Amino acid sequence: MGPIVGVIANPVSARDIRRVVANAASLQIADRANIVLRVLAALAACGIEHVVMMPEHGGIRGHVMRGIERSRNQGETRFPHLTHLDMPVTGTAEDSARAARLMHRAGVAAIVVLGGDGTHRAVVKECGRVPIAGISTGTNNAFPEHREPTITGLAAGLAATGRVPAKVAFASNKRLDVVVGERPAEIALVDVAFVTDSYIGARALWRTETFRELFVTFADPEVIGMAAIAGLIEPVGRREAGGMMVSLAPAATARTVLNAPIAPGLVVPVGIDDWRRMPAGIPFHPHLAAGSVALDGEREIFFDGREPVSVTLTADAFRTVNVPAVMQFAATHGLLRAGASLLATALA
Amino acid sequence: MSTNPFPLDKADLMKAYRTMRTIREFEERLHVEFAKGDIPGFVHLYAGEEACATGIMMHLTDVDRIASTHRGHGHCIAKGVDVHEMMAEIYGKATGACRGKGGSMHIADLAKGMMGANGILGAGAPLVCGAGLAAKFRGDGGVGVTFFGDGASNQGMVLESMNLAAVWNLPVIFVVENNGYAESTSVDYATAVDSYVDRASGFGLPGVTVDGTDFFAVYEAAGEMIRRAREGGGPALLECKMVRFFGHFEGDAQTYKAKGENDYNREHRDCLKIFAARVREAGVVTAEEFAAIDREVGALIEDAVASAKAAPLPTARELTTDVYVAY
Repeated sequence: MGPIVGVIANPVSARDIRRVVANAASLQIADRANIVLRVLAALAACGIEHVVMMPEHGGIRGHVMRGIERSRNQGETRFPHLTHLDMPVTGTAEDSARAARLMHRAGVAAIVVLGGDGTHRAVVKECGRVPIAGISTGTNNAFPEHREPTITGLAAGLAATGRVPAKVAFASNKRLDVVVGERPAEIALVDVAFVTDSYIGARALWRTETFRELFVTFADPEVIGMAAIAGLIEPVGRREAGGMMVSLAPAATARTVLNAPIAPGLVVPVGIDDWRRMPAGIPFHPHLAAGSVALDGEREIFFDGREPVSVTLTADAFRTVNVPAVMQFAATHGLLRAGASLLATALA
Repeated sequence: MSTNPFPLDKADLMKAYRTMRTIREFEERLHVEFAKGDIPGFVHLYAGEEACATGIMMHLTDVDRIASTHRGHGHCIAKGVDVHEMMAEIYGKATGACRGKGGSMHIADLAKGMMGANGILGAGAPLVCGAGLAAKFRGDGGVGVTFFGDGASNQGMVLESMNLAAVWNLPVIFVVENNGYAESTSVDYATAVDSYVDRASGFGLPGVTVDGTDFFAVYEAAGEMIRRAREGGGPALLECKMVRFFGHFEGDAQTYKAKGENDYNREHRDCLKIFAARVREAGVVTAEEFAAIDREVGALIEDAVASAKAAPLPTARELTTDVYVAY
């Protein structure tokens, strides 16, 4: 049997309070299913015959199966054989993590992820060295790159079938590890923020007066969310060594005030006291005595000063499909030319 | 004593707990009393869902109006309806909130802004559009909040109300209490548009999904929505994902639920336990203070049941009083 590709599509990303406190999008379930169908068609076009998906109760599965059935009724063979993992569905981030763990165990060649930063974080926690290809269907989407999903599907397929050498196809990524006392370590793919709210509540971050410290794996001035703050001070690339640490304060008392896009459509003053580069492997300890830790923009853990807290940047922590590099390679090596590959039969 | 890390002060944290505990005690007791056969009609219990009603109602005052469902006891208590009058109403007694003529599914108290529990699924949605329109004309800053279940969200009038609220920019919040079952039909089977937030998006309303077993998640999201609506920011939809500990109605054999589902939910997804543990661990309210509230609420419900049982039934002469309104 040829390589299997996994698909984890989160039905509940892009559903939080940022639809009210900002103008965040709310991608409909039918649109998410449509994205999955585009990805499946692209994977099949690259010769992927079997795809395994995370089951969910949000409705994506029903739309996808209906789409495949309709295509089959018309005599088309555009889609690979699709199965769903046998696992319980909780409707929480645990589903994405569990699906990633099972796919990792099953030896899938790559995992295509539909979600925002939180979904990608849940997958990366459990996928080991299996490369992921991210599609942004969340709120801030600082981690997954914005791109037509068909292209992401093609790149994942070309990478998974081995037709693009691994050193070209896959990129390594940085990660932040957060340890609070004796609790199990948590990770973040883009940013870890320390805020004064000591409750998780609606999770999202938008009250800038509560922001105190920020750690980022990369600082891209083109992203939104907490990482935008670092990105607009001193850009740090995704592939560059090290990350960045920023000391934040209420805008009224801060040394510098930056207007930063911290959520879709929400460009607000953020107070900045200081910043510095963050080398990999060295634990940083926040100064805030009590509050909560937000991972990739969502409050996840609260702490009260009784437990030590550390944040450490890890280099080469997980792999992603390098979509631009794969597509460039495909172009220069004629991988998508008719007759050059399985593509011709898949499209016939 | 630690500093309070929560968005509510100690008095409000205790008030929230007291409200949730009152709802729980009220419903658990009704479960026992209903089985004795003294209560007429049907009762639909809210136990397990308390954080939703309470997290929202903590932001409302008597000027704000709510419209409830057939599962309305929790909404009534959280909105401030007198527990004695509610219990008497459920027993069909003359001292009840509606003089014993409404029963469990029609408890109303306009002075408290409670427009009524409602036996017609989804019927609260157009009512709060009216309340929202009135508030807008009066300029009193009031909001209307309607609750409905995952099943009722398929009703046409709910969708029509969302459209009306959107085009008139009404201060209205639509709350989907998603406990996973429309009576006994799983959500997975019965709903073609799979996300309630998608429904809202179709009308241009922002929709938010929260864990309805987490009081603070509901409180924070509802607070932002209600503030926005009061300021003229328009309607929104809040979906609270939660669990109900009992059946659809009392007497429901619940054969559609998985084995052990209720036990699991009581152990791991009990909003009251989650709230109390979090607040206690933070050192803001002590176990003894919570226990004192438990005792106080226990006595309140005991007295409400005893009073309701002892109260007289309405007489035949009162059959048509308070039923029709003269214009």
